[in-house]
Amino acid sequence: MKKPAKNDAHLIAPDAYPQMLGEQGAAHALRTLRSAQTAAKAQVAMEAAIPPLRAGILQYVKEMEDAAGDLPIMFEKIHEIRGFAETAGLATTGRIAEILYRYRDDMERIGRPLDMTIVALHVSAIARAARTEEDDAGMGEVVAAELAALVARRLAGCEQL
Amino acid sequence: MSGVGFENLKALIVEDNAQMRALLRALLNSAGFKEIAEAAHGRAALDQLCARRSDLVLSDLAMKPMDGLEFTHHVRNHAQSPNPFVPIIMITGHSEKHRVEAARDAGVTEFLAKPITAQNLFSRIAEIVEHPRAFVRCNGYFGPDRRRHQVENYTGPWRRQEDFQDMTVR
Repeated sequence: MKKPAKNDAHLIAPDAYPQMLGEQGAAHALRTLRSAQTAAKAQVAMEAAIPPLRAGILQYVKEMEDAAGDLPIMFEKIHEIRGFAETAGLATTGRIAEILYRYRDDMERIGRPLDMTIVALHVSAIARAARTEEDDAGMGEVVAAELAALVARRLAGCEQL
Repeated sequence: MSGVGFENLKALIVEDNAQMRALLRALLNSAGFKEIAEAAHGRAALDQLCARRSDLVLSDLAMKPMDGLEFTHHVRNHAQSPNPFVPIIMITGHSEKHRVEAARDAGVTEFLAKPITAQNLFSRIAEIVEHPRAFVRCNGYFGPDRRRHQVENYTGPWRRQEDFQDMTVR
């Protein structure tokens, strides 16, 4: 049985509004998107973007540290770091920023205040990882795993209260 | 337009981070886009949309003074919007489920999760080209059909409360 449309909904089919490309253009565009040549060009673009992105991450790290005590500003910077770090080749930095950001979201969800010791540990680890990740990725991974475990224990404790 | 892909199309990048704008521009260039405009936030992007045609928009979510949600809502719903149907790819952090849902409800066409990769960006663009979405206009929403898959001969149970209301009205 075909599901009836809602009475107040008006459906506009794709052929009833302007599309990006006509049929031939679309076929050409899809071939381009999926070609080895395009992938190679994109790879060059990604690699060229790494140095400026890293410089941008380090600037965010400085602003994060400078914002100590101003949580909204600090988490704004952490949000940027978690979004860009992996693209900049700083995977551990991004992972630690992600753990902290999720910790904040989870504490908000259960209505509990942030443990500022946990926040400070993460901020310190983010800064260290961003500045040394290339030389010391292994240690950064260990720190990230320890911090994730610490946050998990703290959240479990809060949720039991 | 035979043999012409993205070369004649115009893209707009809305992103507050200059390095990320540069990366997105380079990736679009590698796919053949030649005319690419940039804006650092939603308000500037609306000005760009009014000033020149845009065939594809890549937008970040968190920006000031106007974020990607408000921008998308404005593009889809404002009476003076130059192209309410323009495809909008929203770039999001992967843990922001509630914000992703809000973006979907604002009328985003596709999502691109961070960290950005060329493969992911190109697959979203391909999806728009290959499977353009129907648009829906109903009370409180105008934008791409939020139901991704519709089975023509579906015989299973209807799950939404309003499905039942529809049935009784009919």
